[in-house]
Amino acid sequence: MKFNAGEIASVIEQEITHYESQLDVREVGTVLEVGDGIARVYGLSGCMSGEMVQFPSGVIGVAFNLEENSVGVIILGGYLEIEEGDEVKALGRLLSVPVGEAVIGRVLDPLGNPLDGKGPVNTSERRAVEMIAPGIAGRQPVREPLQTGIKAIDAMTPIGRGQRELIIGDRKTGKTTIAIDTIINQKHSGVKCFYVAIGLKESSVANTIRVLQEHGAMEYTTVILAGASAPAPLQFYAAYAGTAMAEHFTYGGQHALIVYDDLSKQAQAYRELSLLMRRPPGREAYPGDVFYAHSRLLERSVKLSNELGGGSLTSLPIIETLEGEVSAYIPTNVISITDGQIYLQPDLFFKGVRPAMNVGISVSRVGGAAQIKAMKDREVAGGLRLALAAFRELEAFAQLGTDLDAATQARLDRGYRMVELLKQSQYQPMEVVDQAIAIFAANKGGLDDVPVTQVSAFEKAFLQYMRDVKGQLRSTIAEKKELPADLKEQLLAAITEFKRGWKPAAK
Amino acid sequence: MADASQSTTIDPRRQQIGAVYAKALLGAAEKAGQTDAVVEELQSLIVDVLDKLPQLQAALSSPRIGHEEKAALIDRAFSGRMSDVLLRFLKVLSQHGRLDCLRAIAAAAQKQLNELQGRVEVWVTTAAPLSNPLRELIVKRLSALLGQEVVLKAQLDAEMVGGLVVRIGDTVFDGSVSSRLVQMRQAAVDKAATRFRQSLERFAVSS
Repeated sequence: MKFNAGEIASVIEQEITHYESQLDVREVGTVLEVGDGIARVYGLSGCMSGEMVQFPSGVIGVAFNLEENSVGVIILGGYLEIEEGDEVKALGRLLSVPVGEAVIGRVLDPLGNPLDGKGPVNTSERRAVEMIAPGIAGRQPVREPLQTGIKAIDAMTPIGRGQRELIIGDRKTGKTTIAIDTIINQKHSGVKCFYVAIGLKESSVANTIRVLQEHGAMEYTTVILAGASAPAPLQFYAAYAGTAMAEHFTYGGQHALIVYDDLSKQAQAYRELSLLMRRPPGREAYPGDVFYAHSRLLERSVKLSNELGGGSLTSLPIIETLEGEVSAYIPTNVISITDGQIYLQPDLFFKGVRPAMNVGISVSRVGGAAQIKAMKDREVAGGLRLALAAFRELEAFAQLGTDLDAATQARLDRGYRMVELLKQSQYQPMEVVDQAIAIFAANKGGLDDVPVTQVSAFEKAFLQYMRDVKGQLRSTIAEKKELPADLKEQLLAAITEFKRGWKPAAK
Repeated sequence: MADASQSTTIDPRRQQIGAVYAKALLGAAEKAGQTDAVVEELQSLIVDVLDKLPQLQAALSSPRIGHEEKAALIDRAFSGRMSDVLLRFLKVLSQHGRLDCLRAIAAAAQKQLNELQGRVEVWVTTAAPLSNPLRELIVKRLSALLGQEVVLKAQLDAEMVGGLVVRIGDTVFDGSVSSRLVQMRQAAVDKAATRFRQSLERFAVSS
């Protein structure tokens, strides 16, 4: 597009002719010392905690520590141009970010500045980064499911809209993949997605963005990036900034999903800031209020009451553990705040069980309220968790090499097939109907005579068959979202019919 | 309150100590009934003696010289030339090893005295030196506005082109030409940018 310079000049000219000068009244202070992303400022006597201040270079800071003789300011941007003796101006405003439809599909920094080269964010709406979460009157229990498209999660640890489900695990166990799969699966659900990357390698974020684009997921997703090279204040505020952008939709009666990848890095950034500000260190050198930093963030995930529009904000915080140590400070904190956790284990991951979810200790405290009836059914996913737990116990026992009776062997065989069925490759989310049909088939013994190595091929062919040949039945289940006895019978008949024509592929 | 024109570097720790000692000095001087005189003497000590004799300043601040020597030095130099209150105060400072805070104490004493007597310090920055009638006019107007006696401190800054910048405490009332130009530029750019966003097609050349 070309621009008409004359037209632009005339607009600016108009502005200048109509410009009314106003006396600039400002509250000021003087920089005493600056470094490592923080500054100590003398003066600013009327400055309030959390207020924005501006340095002569235009860089924004936030009043973080109010002391008797000085104000500790964290600098959101380049601090190399700031010098001792510079005048600091209090802006009398709180930190805010641009919000609205214009941020969707963009890659932004925590202050809302574009990073994707697609021009300015075209919106005049802004929202304060730090907001108090709604109280009990503004909330209602979680009741709609947020489908992740991952069989293991939707069946055993279902996530509801407005829930906070923690994804926890060591490095390289597929934590981000679960979050990305969930975002990809929101394609036709109308849920707006926000991916907050905190302290991650920019190369891996670039890769994530590419995957989202390839799956058409950037059309409803915003990426907020404070990479590993971003200063600690930006990494700390990124989570709150992303939440503010997501809340705009929540309070507009829509549904939003936010992924914090990951909160351990955010806690480290906060620790860095606090130590530089000389706040006293506590356990693992984290400041005393690191719990509050996370709880006030995650409390903002909400299912709003109908009076407030019934919008929701679901969050998937990610925590990286070291050597499976879940009893460290930050993991226990976040586990206690969230409504459940998905625990990923490296040994499962390397065994080929992907997603590498440990079913025994992964929970969702919202439970059945976040599942459709067809999924919740006792013959589908209802008893799956317990059945798998029993299977694992039996499996451990069977390793002793004792002779097993036929009934035990049969239970073991079904368990192996169920574990095989719950494997799922990345970036291939499944519709909930398909999940229910597949799990129902396995529960009813439909897979018992299928070789373990052929389970995934069988599942694929069977679901294709259901779509092509039994489309009527499949769409009835999808519509009703439940599985009454007559539909179950029809489904069983379909399984038998399909197996008559299906042969395992020759090796 | 920060003083924009303070030539020395700001040291919050010394200022805090200074405020405490200044309060004590004012209390003692008031009992002796010579508050104004003592504060004036202290100012004169800084400006007329310490500023001109850096060696004396260094000797008094040095932690290597003991209290006895400093007290003897103070006696020899100032005895009979200054009020008893201030002389004793200097010795107390020497005993506590706080003579290095003397400048901060003097500044704090002046400030506290101003507050006690309902005076307020106002820093006025201009591009050209203020003429006397203008100075009086500014003092008169500001006194009427603030309801307090105004102590005017003038500063020069050629870069502000014209106008007047008044600073009271931490609040700056900026009426300088330079900052108005900056404001005007910002306002023009902001408003123009908003209008571009609202109607992009108006500015595009159809090609």
